[in-house]
Amino acid sequence: MYDQIAQYTNKLIADRAVLTGEIAFAAQDDAVLTAGEPALAELAGAVLARLSCLALAVARPALPFADLLVARAPVGESCIVPRDTETRTFLHDIPFVRRAELGDEPAALIARLLGNRKGVIVEGVGIVASGTLTVEQAYINYSSIFHSTFVKYLEDVLQEGFRLPGETDVFSVFRRDWLRPLTAAGLDFRAGPLTDHDEILAEITAVGRYTVERGLVDSFFGNISYRAGEVVYISQTAASLDALAGCIDPVAMDNSSTCGITASSELLAHRRIYELSGARAILHGHPKFAVVMSMQCEEAGCPVRDCWKECPSVRFLGDTPVVAGEIGAGGLAKRVPPVIVGPRKAIVYGHGVFTVGEADFAEAFRALVEVENWCRNEYFRRVDERWRENR
Amino acid sequence: MTNGTAAGWTGVLLRVDLTARQCWREELPEELRHAYLGGRGLGVRLMRDYYRLAPFDPDTPLIFAVGPLCGTPAPTAARLAVVSRSPLTGTIYDCSAGGRFAWRLKAAGFDTLVVTGQSTVPLALAITPTGAELVAVPALWGKTVPETVAALAARGSVAAIGPAGENGVLFANIMMGEGNSVGRGGLGAVMGKKGLKAIVVDGDRETLIADRERFDHARSDVMRLFRASPVIFGELGIAEYGTPALVDLMRQRRMAPTANFRRTVFEQSDNYSGPAIRRAYQAKKDGCYGCPIQCKKSTPQGEHLPEYETVSHFGALNGIADLAAIVKSNTLCNRLGMDTISAAVTLAAWGEARGAFPRAEEVPPLLEEIAWRHGAGELLAEGSSRVAAAMGRPELAMGVKGLELPAYDPRGAYGMALAYCTSNRGGCHLRAYPISHEILRKPIATDRFSFSGKARIIAIAEDTNAAVDSLVACKFSFFGATLEEYGELLSAATGIDYPPQQLKEIGRRIYLTERFYNCANGFASRDDYLPERFYCEGGSSGEGIEIPPIDRARFTEELQKYYRIRGLTPDGTFADPDFLATQP
Repeated sequence: MYDQIAQYTNKLIADRAVLTGEIAFAAQDDAVLTAGEPALAELAGAVLARLSCLALAVARPALPFADLLVARAPVGESCIVPRDTETRTFLHDIPFVRRAELGDEPAALIARLLGNRKGVIVEGVGIVASGTLTVEQAYINYSSIFHSTFVKYLEDVLQEGFRLPGETDVFSVFRRDWLRPLTAAGLDFRAGPLTDHDEILAEITAVGRYTVERGLVDSFFGNISYRAGEVVYISQTAASLDALAGCIDPVAMDNSSTCGITASSELLAHRRIYELSGARAILHGHPKFAVVMSMQCEEAGCPVRDCWKECPSVRFLGDTPVVAGEIGAGGLAKRVPPVIVGPRKAIVYGHGVFTVGEADFAEAFRALVEVENWCRNEYFRRVDERWRENR
Repeated sequence: MTNGTAAGWTGVLLRVDLTARQCWREELPEELRHAYLGGRGLGVRLMRDYYRLAPFDPDTPLIFAVGPLCGTPAPTAARLAVVSRSPLTGTIYDCSAGGRFAWRLKAAGFDTLVVTGQSTVPLALAITPTGAELVAVPALWGKTVPETVAALAARGSVAAIGPAGENGVLFANIMMGEGNSVGRGGLGAVMGKKGLKAIVVDGDRETLIADRERFDHARSDVMRLFRASPVIFGELGIAEYGTPALVDLMRQRRMAPTANFRRTVFEQSDNYSGPAIRRAYQAKKDGCYGCPIQCKKSTPQGEHLPEYETVSHFGALNGIADLAAIVKSNTLCNRLGMDTISAAVTLAAWGEARGAFPRAEEVPPLLEEIAWRHGAGELLAEGSSRVAAAMGRPELAMGVKGLELPAYDPRGAYGMALAYCTSNRGGCHLRAYPISHEILRKPIATDRFSFSGKARIIAIAEDTNAAVDSLVACKFSFFGATLEEYGELLSAATGIDYPPQQLKEIGRRIYLTERFYNCANGFASRDDYLPERFYCEGGSSGEGIEIPPIDRARFTEELQKYYRIRGLTPDGTFADPDFLATQP
């Protein structure tokens, strides 16, 4: 298991989700083994020994947003509740432990909280995430919580401003130094239409990797497909966008085979987009600023409570339509296809971005970059506008 | 944790002594409810004083147990477990079944029904909220399951045996009136030996929920995960095509057992794929009471269509490509009350031993002969192990601990290989259910051709599923949801907090209790191996996929790891002979 631990340690570092050197894993087969920063590794081993699961990741996030969320939380609260779709669906909420609550047996306390949830924030320590079946699952849960706290913190700052001493400095450093420009420049896309089976698989694999390498999405947050005639090639469910080799299903448009039962849960949405738009390539990911901005609705007096699912409106972020809809067999597959046809791009409330390409992925990728850049710029414009005096 | 409440459970157990023809109520101790939940766990616990008895001993209990979520709107939880000792395998045995019977039993006011004794005349047990009565039904003896259900349906939901159960077929089922089965290990024969032809139950009591708001929130979390799962609600998933949705996938993965597991690809499997069944029979959705998935499929006339394991084993395993013949075999098994997997594997072993698999048109008369123990059926009714041994070819029995293997070739998924062997009820896919991650990528994909980590993964899954079988929820829910959400449902329903980690610990207790019973009855490491074929013959390699034989040494290494994880001796047994005394 050491090889898997090394693999996912490197992946978290490459994702810029952890502070280098402040990461550890524990895993157990017939015995517990640990690797990484010694103090964190010891904690990871002690927690894992108390749990019925295979792996555990403990790391200090590259951004202090998790700790800031804990510090901003009112006294008496013990979890944060991000509103983005991925968190809402798969994590529900994220428990936290304040530094002062850790006591003499932090491992026991953390294990008790992890007995209820896939991950927990430990103030001053970092994010602790479990993997029931694999080391990869611990990596995914860590990364999910990193994503959740990123989105939640940005959303809270936009809504509530800065509250803690030094918070504005942290935010400035994040804005100035941590964020990198998003661009499609320099990437090599195969010109479409693509017809060769192997070429399509290779292109999907390459483009999936581009989305992660360029910092648009975290590796398992999205899906990608290409239509060639009556076959849709689509990434599999729970597949990492930067490791799609062997994880792409060819699915017949006429449902004559059920081999595609392992395809992404968004298969239905992809199919309907193809049917309505005539496009050949679809790229879907969860870039963070698009997720944050999609939840900024200022409709006064609106009676809808479950906006992410029930909102019947089509809003716009710049020239990109925003619609509500649950993932998979929920309303997303109904609401996205009609609005994506004209602008060739759409955002789903709290969820992410869909873009299409007429013949190949170059157009779709550029559109994804443009949407996220627009949302990033708009986010900071609104923060500046609302909280300038606060900074 | 709060004190126990009346929410969730009824707290009442119904005992029936067929010898004395007496029925009486007992309180179900709160401590046992909390420590074993219901369903499989409670049934296994209630076998503690009886596990050494022979399966057909009149004093051996036949236990029907629902769970604390039954009768609530918790998705897929209107199920029960039936527990006893299997005449086919000799192991402790449980099987989960849906339909309406479980819900009606709970609505009659009972968590558990324990039947003991033996009647010299055929009886039916009728249960209502006001009491239970035993009725002599000699005219029903010899009737098929549908005939029996039709005769009793006016009094409520029916669980009945057919001729196979009456005649002691070792893989006889108990059938629910809606077509669901208590399958595999021959509990229908246990019921038949007791002289109990049927149980009919009616009730209208509501199951109380301690915290309705919390419950509704948890339920919506579960439903959201169902919608996010391609296996459940995806357009190619089981809600659309039923479990035959797996036919194409198993073909593509080259792990469809063919010709008694000599090969792993059957070129004509297209004939009975999910889409083929839908086309041929205009299949419509059907399923258990209150289930949102409705994975069962039936014809517009109401004939139940076969599950994946059934189409594959009456198909590829016996070299039969005729869909109509496969559907007919399934219907016949349901009418006669016997297990389709064991029946098909037994026919395949018999076919290979005699040098010819049965032709499509030969299967229905053979199934009739088995149920009535006529002709070749006298031997075939004993299951594959005894058939192959009697024919001098014991190596042709494709099972573990005498339970016939289902339609997932273990050479194509090594976690499945290990799970077949560590399953307490024998070669079953539903205990650890690694198909979920090795094939269907839920909740995450694992490498199907690697043993790495699988001992721990299988142990965790066995514990998890023992809890699931005790709630009692359907395994298919866990292609989307997890114990996190079901723990919330349970906590909300009962008013007692059950975090997922605690549920896994309950599951572990149940698993180890079962293993202890088996070990006490002579089972040990030698019983935890696949048939030799899988260690020395490869499957059908091709299309870039190699299906080599399983490395026996590596398998053994992982099995030993599993024993260490479980705290067992290297022989797979218990160092502590007083293990049971340490448990609630």
